[in-house]
Amino acid sequence: MRWIVLKFGGTSVSRRHRWENIGALMRARRQEGARVLTVVSALSGVTDALKALIALHGDPAAMTAAAEALIERHLEFARELDVAPEVLNERVAELRRLVGDVRAAAGGHAWQAELQAQGELWSSTLGAHFLASLGLPVQWLDARDFLTSREQPLQTEWARYQSAICEPRPSAAVREELTGRGALFLTQGFIARHPGGDSVILGRGGSDTSASYFGALLGAERVEIWTDVPGMFSANPKQVPDARLLRRLDYDEAQEIATTGAKVLHPRAIGPVREVRVPLWIKDTERPELAGTQIAGEAAGGAPSVKAISMRSGITLVSMESIGMWQQVGFLADVFACFKQHGLSVDLIGSAETNVTVSLDPSDNLLDAGTLDALCRDLARVCRVRVIAPCAAVTLVGRGMRGMMHRLSEILAEIGARRVHLVSQSSNNLNLTFVIDAADADGVVPALHAHLVRAGLTGADGDPVFGPSWREIVAPRAAPPPAWWESQRPALRTLAEAATPVYVYAASVVRERASDLRALRAVDRRWYALKANPHAGVLRALAAQGFGMECVSQGELEHVRAVLPELPAERILFTPNFAARREYAAAFALGARVTIDNLTILQRWGELLAGREILLRLDLGRGLGHHDKVRTGGERSKFGIGLSDLDAALAASAACGAEVVGLHAHLGSGILDVAHWKAVYAELAALAERIPSVRVLDIGGGLGVPHERGETPLAMAELDAALAEVKAMYPRFELWIEPGRYLVAESGVLLARVTQVKHKAGVNFVGVDAGMHTLLRPALYEAFHEIANLSRIDAPAEGRWQVVGPICESGDVLGRDRALPAPQEDEILLVAHAGAYGAAMASRYNLREAVREVWADEL
Amino acid sequence: MTSRPTATTFRLTEASYADGEVRLGYAFDEGATMVERIRFPGAPAAVPSGREAAFARALALLHGIAGVSYWKALVPERIVVDGEPFDPALAALLDEVWLHGLGEFAHANGLDLRGRIRFPHADQSAPAATALGLQRRALVPIGGGKDSLVSIETLKRAEEPVAVVWIGRSDLIRACAQATGQPLLNIEREIAPELFELNRRGAWNGHIPVTAINSAILVLAALLYGYDEIVFSNEASASAGNLVVGELDINHQWSKGLRFEALFAGYVSEAIAPDLRYYSLLRPFSELAVTERFAALTRYHPLFSSCNRNFRILGERPSSRWCGECPKCRFVFLALAPFMSKPALLAIFGRNLLDEPEQMEGFDALLEFGAVKPFECVGEGRESRAALLALSARADWREDALVRRFVDEVLPRIDAGGLELEPLLRPAGEHRVPERLWASLGLRPEVPPRYSRGEGGASGAG
Repeated sequence: MRWIVLKFGGTSVSRRHRWENIGALMRARRQEGARVLTVVSALSGVTDALKALIALHGDPAAMTAAAEALIERHLEFARELDVAPEVLNERVAELRRLVGDVRAAAGGHAWQAELQAQGELWSSTLGAHFLASLGLPVQWLDARDFLTSREQPLQTEWARYQSAICEPRPSAAVREELTGRGALFLTQGFIARHPGGDSVILGRGGSDTSASYFGALLGAERVEIWTDVPGMFSANPKQVPDARLLRRLDYDEAQEIATTGAKVLHPRAIGPVREVRVPLWIKDTERPELAGTQIAGEAAGGAPSVKAISMRSGITLVSMESIGMWQQVGFLADVFACFKQHGLSVDLIGSAETNVTVSLDPSDNLLDAGTLDALCRDLARVCRVRVIAPCAAVTLVGRGMRGMMHRLSEILAEIGARRVHLVSQSSNNLNLTFVIDAADADGVVPALHAHLVRAGLTGADGDPVFGPSWREIVAPRAAPPPAWWESQRPALRTLAEAATPVYVYAASVVRERASDLRALRAVDRRWYALKANPHAGVLRALAAQGFGMECVSQGELEHVRAVLPELPAERILFTPNFAARREYAAAFALGARVTIDNLTILQRWGELLAGREILLRLDLGRGLGHHDKVRTGGERSKFGIGLSDLDAALAASAACGAEVVGLHAHLGSGILDVAHWKAVYAELAALAERIPSVRVLDIGGGLGVPHERGETPLAMAELDAALAEVKAMYPRFELWIEPGRYLVAESGVLLARVTQVKHKAGVNFVGVDAGMHTLLRPALYEAFHEIANLSRIDAPAEGRWQVVGPICESGDVLGRDRALPAPQEDEILLVAHAGAYGAAMASRYNLREAVREVWADEL
Repeated sequence: MTSRPTATTFRLTEASYADGEVRLGYAFDEGATMVERIRFPGAPAAVPSGREAAFARALALLHGIAGVSYWKALVPERIVVDGEPFDPALAALLDEVWLHGLGEFAHANGLDLRGRIRFPHADQSAPAATALGLQRRALVPIGGGKDSLVSIETLKRAEEPVAVVWIGRSDLIRACAQATGQPLLNIEREIAPELFELNRRGAWNGHIPVTAINSAILVLAALLYGYDEIVFSNEASASAGNLVVGELDINHQWSKGLRFEALFAGYVSEAIAPDLRYYSLLRPFSELAVTERFAALTRYHPLFSSCNRNFRILGERPSSRWCGECPKCRFVFLALAPFMSKPALLAIFGRNLLDEPEQMEGFDALLEFGAVKPFECVGEGRESRAALLALSARADWREDALVRRFVDEVLPRIDAGGLELEPLLRPAGEHRVPERLWASLGLRPEVPPRYSRGEGGASGAG
């Protein structure tokens, strides 16, 4: 006989319609031919209320009042369920008895456990009667009759009663007994019975663990944990909306993910089913159609991959430096005995000949004043102790981690730009953990996850492990509208006939993006960062839309003057980095606004800056490796004035008679969530408030490009609202933005002609007359650009192709593994999203001819 | 840059109240009036009857004090009051508040304002004020920092009826205020936009006595809504100067000091309402005594900020509340450290400022070790020294870079006597706290001498 165990948590049992849902699921499983045992938690908040009641144990009157409130809560819920209140008589009597129990005065562990066990007994009693009223022949079971706790070595009284452990094995006797009684059962999570007969509770995550125990006891076909999220994800979806649902995990991986951060399932719940190889599924009550996460014995197959990235904060490292005793027998044992004595559990360990460093999780005990001091005092007798905190532990989980090292270079570089205090890799090869400085932890998980996606480590669509992303689950994204070029094939082919390679820019797309930005009402001024694409057509179109021009060199300044002679100088912003003094002089002479990003020039070029209005570009320290302490690698950003130099910069400005009218910070590109923009704006405003002359805040560019793979477009309305919120708090400041790529990326396509086709060792290459000299981004940043065969756009793909250029560099690849109809010589390939940093970065490397550009006003 | 604008006369042109809004008008020479607006949400449309005369004087008090922000832009030599002349006591108070309240401003801009600030006044003193029968409840201003939260918790424990009030928009303050569980009042203040324009044109700028302005705003609030106490949370150390230039003791937080408190309270009770009390609850305490109390108020730890950067948007990360690099961040970090577990403290700030060697100079300034106490609302040098000495005895702290440096380099060169924490935690010095609250604060009746006018407040706690 097949058994399925279902488990529902507090929120799932607190409302009538949720119980109807439980009934429907039990019925459906029964119809699949299985017998069903359902495990439920107490109503939401009841376990906490029972704990609060216990805390009142010296005060019988207060305890009685609290108990009566709980009774009333359940009676009210009985009314909501249309269940006769009498069914609770026994439970009411029991609670009153426990409150009046002689043991209550002392508040011992046995009494506490029995009291805390009540919540599940109440909810399951109500639920069983309600389900019966729906016509389901549900039998109520007392879980304590089936789950017996096991004494553990050195178990404390607290653990014996309030963190009890059972070790159920599949039992034919239990199966037979239950089979004889019926097919549908309802019982309690969280509770069990001590061999001596007392009630015990299972501690945190107890209801999940109960379900797992029953799954093991019954040798169930599977255990389904029904919760309010779709399953486990490749990262915390709240931090990383692009995190992918993990469809399949083996027990070890799931355990590791649950332990290192995921909150969806308590790690204790995995052990019991792992022992007996019962699969455990995580299912979403709100989205029952989703498969969720299935945890089972065998791996899902496929190549080794990083399944998840998680982070735990509040980590404290204790570093113990040898004073020559390392080799001594028992030294480490003494050291660890200290930790044990102070009730601190060590997690990670790194050791060298003269140092042992361990990590401590943020337990209540650690946060108590005095614990750490006392530990360090004891340790200091045998070694030199140093506390390194606050830290965060970033863990990559996936089977076969050591076999993936070569694919993790980007991830290691990302981590390496931070202060890393400890690295740990388990010998079971399941994880790789970096303990980094908490101050550097902002954004690390989203950044690492983005690297995983870019490196293809999260699998393609239809991957057996990596399911849809959180973002897709909560708001399935509409298929992107067809790209503008798909309907312009004849025109583009004609343009390509003339000569290739050629960039074609569609004017309508530039104007459309410009009006997106004009719709941001919180923004007072918009500048186009013309380094992205200085083509005259682009400049004219954007100037006509009211954009100012942001230049980074004298060459760009002169270009703007030549293309837009009518543009008032105050609509030119000069924001260079390490430009020569004469370039600044030229900008001032022109009357442009100038941004200074170096303290030294404020101090040394006084005569140039005297009487000028300037903006200061700041490094808010969000860029990686900003901190002086970064010595482990990573470059410091060459942009901006460090915050610690701001006062000096203001003093230097005042000394030379320059007036600081604005502050500017650029986030870099690719940091795309609305909250981040808001945070930077708010941070800049908080800084600027103390500088009376400041009237402008420039939050730079970096807006995500819509419909581009690997990029999340910003929800413009949401962005506007977030910016407006900050603006309302700091109405004094004008808000400027200066996007580049956002405005032009989509508008441009690169058309290239097929030169040769090659098949080598099973790999297909298609050569075109464009390459890294035409479009550098794929080689420079591993940027992804969609590639289509313009000559046969609707033909089916025939194999995967490496699209390469003619440059004598192995990195001259425009696209890898692209599914294309087999290209023929002289056919035209189209490289999409090439309007930004395409022609602008092109070169004549290998003395290839300069690329042509066409501004297509009619497109 | 254009040349600095100038003026010879500063005029207080008008002050009015209607429909919950106060308008304060100022002008330079014959220029247009600049209007500052202060909105009191839910206030009666007209001044409650019986309080009109008191309100008019309170409005004049605010008009005079708030004028400092505008006057200081051009520091003209003459001050003119267009409407009803100020009474002599108000003029005298304003002369003193402006001069001392602008002490840091004058120092930073290299100005000598002595003799420059002379408020004109009527010959006759105003008649003494009469009691208004205000309701027995207190307005407690909150700034998002530790001090007001300690006050509010103390008053809650004493079962005092309070409302938590703040001026201006700030999500961060709102979050702290909400966490107190007390009634809330958010007063809006809108500075005349012309002032920003003047600043753009190169007007003088710098620190102004904002606590004095807020105090005067709260007097109006007390009359409008009916509160008989305004309870600030300034400590003993607020009375200590930062440096002495000539005969002038310059104190960044002069309007948080005892001298201002007594002066202001005296004027309020004599000229506005004898039953409206104005005092600072934390006056008998050192900063350390306050941080010790705050260390136990863990519910506020993830919410509060004392950082100089005026964070108003509530962010989850410590770095959205603490810049970690200003004197206030350093001081609060240091002052909380002796009273908390290290991991819990580091969780507040998200970093360990005492293990950042580049912060050495900043901490030296707090220690008054070869540097002037910063122009900030921070504790006294001996408080910082005592806190660091306490940390140097803690095994979990003593290997941190700046704790080590304190032991190795600073301690041998300073007088380490009298640096125990314990004496600094005891209430001491002058204060004006009502007797009914002494027990809640642990004040012993025989210790605190009551403040009497004429005693210098600048020397601070003893």
